[in-house]
Amino acid sequence: MNPAIGYIAIVAVALVSAVIGFYGLRVSRTTSDFYVASRTVRPWWNASAIGGEYLSAASFLGIAGLILLTGASALWFPIGYTAGYLMLLLFVAAPLRRSGAYTIPDFTEARLESLTARRVTSLLVIVVGWFYIVPQLQGAALTVRITTGLPSWAGSLAVAVIVAVVVAAGGMRAITFVQAFQFWLKLTALAVPVVALLLVVGAGDATAELPPVAAFPPAAGPGDLDVYRTVSLMVALLFGTLGLPHVLVRFYTNPDGAAARRTTVIVLVLLSVFYLFPTVFGFLGRAFAPDLAAPGDADALILLLPDRLVPGPLGDLLTALVIAGAFAAFLSTSSGLVVSLAGVISQDLLGGSVRGFRIAAIVSTVVPLVVALATESAGLAGSVGLVFAFTASTLCPMLILGIWWRGLTARGAISGMLTGAVLSAAAILGGGALGAAAPGLRPFLEQPAAWTAPIAMLVTVVASRFDRRGAPPGTEAYLTRLHVPERN
Amino acid sequence: MRVTAPRRDAGAASEPPSGRADRREPDDVQGVYVRSLIRSQLRLALTVAAGFIVATVLFVIAIALVPDLDRTLVVGVPVSWLLLGFGVYPLAITVGVLYLRAASRNEARYRALSEDS
Repeated sequence: MNPAIGYIAIVAVALVSAVIGFYGLRVSRTTSDFYVASRTVRPWWNASAIGGEYLSAASFLGIAGLILLTGASALWFPIGYTAGYLMLLLFVAAPLRRSGAYTIPDFTEARLESLTARRVTSLLVIVVGWFYIVPQLQGAALTVRITTGLPSWAGSLAVAVIVAVVVAAGGMRAITFVQAFQFWLKLTALAVPVVALLLVVGAGDATAELPPVAAFPPAAGPGDLDVYRTVSLMVALLFGTLGLPHVLVRFYTNPDGAAARRTTVIVLVLLSVFYLFPTVFGFLGRAFAPDLAAPGDADALILLLPDRLVPGPLGDLLTALVIAGAFAAFLSTSSGLVVSLAGVISQDLLGGSVRGFRIAAIVSTVVPLVVALATESAGLAGSVGLVFAFTASTLCPMLILGIWWRGLTARGAISGMLTGAVLSAAAILGGGALGAAAPGLRPFLEQPAAWTAPIAMLVTVVASRFDRRGAPPGTEAYLTRLHVPERN
Repeated sequence: MRVTAPRRDAGAASEPPSGRADRREPDDVQGVYVRSLIRSQLRLALTVAAGFIVATVLFVIAIALVPDLDRTLVVGVPVSWLLLGFGVYPLAITVGVLYLRAASRNEARYRALSEDS
């Protein structure tokens, strides 16, 4: 592949993001602009921004790679990523907007009237955010290595620097514009190549490496699924989405609860359209590029396939487009995460000033950068899936019970969050060693959400019941505020 | 310039919920309406979630039970793969839109009740 194409695409996306970011800076004057864009963002803008922020390296590169690598079981990833927004719509969208809180820790403190509960939540939000940024930076490393031939660290470093600068300079208002733009860029960057590839394949100009029977064997098909793993993955993705810190912060920019719901339904539509394209890429990959089906290489399928099937300048153009889209994915998800992490860190540790926000933005980028440089990517979709499992076992039970159950107490929430955190972190981190010793346990350790999330939920309920101090005095009033529609 | 998290009391005072629910006496009529609104919204959310999950499970079982779907090719891809790859999204969107309408209806009913009393 011609490295010039890679350079041009990457520099162009970085420049455009920075320009839109700084244009937004002129509009963002006050501090509340910095955090939540003054809550004046329209549903379509908002939904595009949510999509732009949500569609990460895992969605853009990881899904097609995983379809190529493992077959139809990978189709559950985009289904879960999308249906997660359905759960978010049903259980948290409108109440969370009405809560009046800026971040998840703000919600915890307001609902539970406990500073300790707030601190535990902040800690979890920071952990989730950091480990979600890591695969983005690894995706950037892969893209830069494959497309320009530069060493992997250059990609991670470039994304980290751009994100830290744009976020520290522009804050959230800037990010809303950038994110909305990134969604449409990402969609175009997959849709145009997919249409072009289908035209080439349809005209018979490319020959499949494998006949359909070999490319889509029933043994890797939808009928032959591992029930436990699929169910556990679905629990993680469906209930992990509603605890993602960078997604929740977006809901505060809706004017009211009803608008938050409308925004979420638009997000469902946007995601459903988007995921058609990585899926088609994955199907094409199984027939036309089976040689890429190896753990480290499969994630590069989307970057390499256009050049293989469409020779000449048109192929170069399509390649540039997918590189740009991939970079947009890394930039948008990381900057969304950095904004929400910086908000939490600066409010809890640095007094909530704009200067504190800027320092926090840099801290939020450096830590995942170090982790990304020190570790090797084991498949983008998979590592993001584990972050979802952790979120589903920690923040999700607290949020759902906090919104719908008046019996939730601070001690109950803290016990549940810590139990979920310890169990899922132990399964994820210690799973390799334990799984080797007891192979029968491997699926339960590699895909823990199906047991860790219910246990966390149960512990929260039981500990709340046994908490002699009972629910905080303001519970009734706060639940009223969450559920009663705004005056109009 | 300082930015802090909105304090509980400050937030509640600047943006009071409609419906004139009296905070000190949750057992009065307004409190009953609020509780019934929360209950009906929760019931709706659980029903819709269960409906979506059951429908998806049935869809997948149906795909698995018809082996012909693995053998029938459309544009070179087995129908079973196409169904799983593209079939669940329309369901999710439909369910979302239905929920949107029903949730607004619950809120409209609450508004009508609380403004009458």
